Amino acid sequence: MPISYFHAAVLGLLQGVSELFPVSSLGHTVILPKLFGWDIHQSAPYFLTFLVALHLATALVLLGFFWQDWVRIVKGLGRSLRDREIGPEDADAKLGWLLVVGTIPAGLLGITLQDKLRTLFASPQYAAIFLALNGLLLYGAELLRRRAPVTADDDDVRIARTVSWRDTTLVGAAQALALIPGFSRSGASMGGGLLVGLSHKDAARFAFLLATPIIFAAALLKLPDLAGSQGNGVRGPALVGALCSALTAYLAVRFLMKYFETRTLLPFAIYCGVAGTAAAVYFAVS
Amino acid sequence: MRPVDRRLLAGIAVVLGIALIAVAIVYWAEPAKSLPSFFPGHTAGSNHHHTKHGIAAFLVGLACFAFAWFNTGPKKTRSASA
Repeated sequence: MPISYFHAAVLGLLQGVSELFPVSSLGHTVILPKLFGWDIHQSAPYFLTFLVALHLATALVLLGFFWQDWVRIVKGLGRSLRDREIGPEDADAKLGWLLVVGTIPAGLLGITLQDKLRTLFASPQYAAIFLALNGLLLYGAELLRRRAPVTADDDDVRIARTVSWRDTTLVGAAQALALIPGFSRSGASMGGGLLVGLSHKDAARFAFLLATPIIFAAALLKLPDLAGSQGNGVRGPALVGALCSALTAYLAVRFLMKYFETRTLLPFAIYCGVAGTAAAVYFAVS
Repeated sequence: MRPVDRRLLAGIAVVLGIALIAVAIVYWAEPAKSLPSFFPGHTAGSNHHHTKHGIAAFLVGLACFAFAWFNTGPKKTRSASA
């Protein structure tokens, strides 16, 4: 069997946490097997197919967690299409279109650059260096962030009032950094959210909403591989990994939405800086 | 924005949307070796179909239509809707 059930469970638990924490799931999935000396061929088709199952589980958890928000957002999109305008007080419609506009650059960059970047930087050494740089990125976002004005009590109204069309394009494009193992999708979009004037809580909420369609679409597009010959021998471990990933993703999103009500990205910046540097030094000397 | 500018932008968006949906169909129908050489993903000798490129072009085409849809809608003012 290409991946044991134990490895699948550990990688699943790790994926659920690291996909949503701003610490790069791809980076950890590349670095940790090398650190532990696991015999997993990370560029092999079966491993990529296995990762698809983990991503799908994470996306389903995000969708479920924000289900009521998504229902309101989709209704808002429908309302705006019917009225042929985004009503000045219709925060759901504005948020929905902000997510659509933000998803376009992320999707385009993902489709055109994904294979090239992953081939170039798929080694654990690169991933460790980029993880350290991800720490710098998070720290930089904290340093440069604007003070978030309190414009409304409702989360979505605040986001809709604060984020402009240009802002959402930039935040969406920033997600493409996550194509490089070591950089975090949620970290890039949360950092972008802070820079455009969102609070930590709103930046996290916007980042999770923005990430859901991208992770979901990427996983759905690759799902046929899991059913086809590339999935032979990994379907069982993929199911176990997906369940573990779903569990930790749920706990992670619950924790983070509470955490960012009062706290900042600094602990994650420190973790990424220290862990990335330590892993890079270890790989260099070993 | 002046009504003429809005109509012009909407017209451009519709043309772009149609072009992008045509590009999407080309991506779905033709293997990488048969794509025009200026298309991203063109690879000589490859039989791979760039389905994802097609989906991306299709969705951006739809976004262009959405932009045109909003820009050609009846202009409502705050006072009129209040």
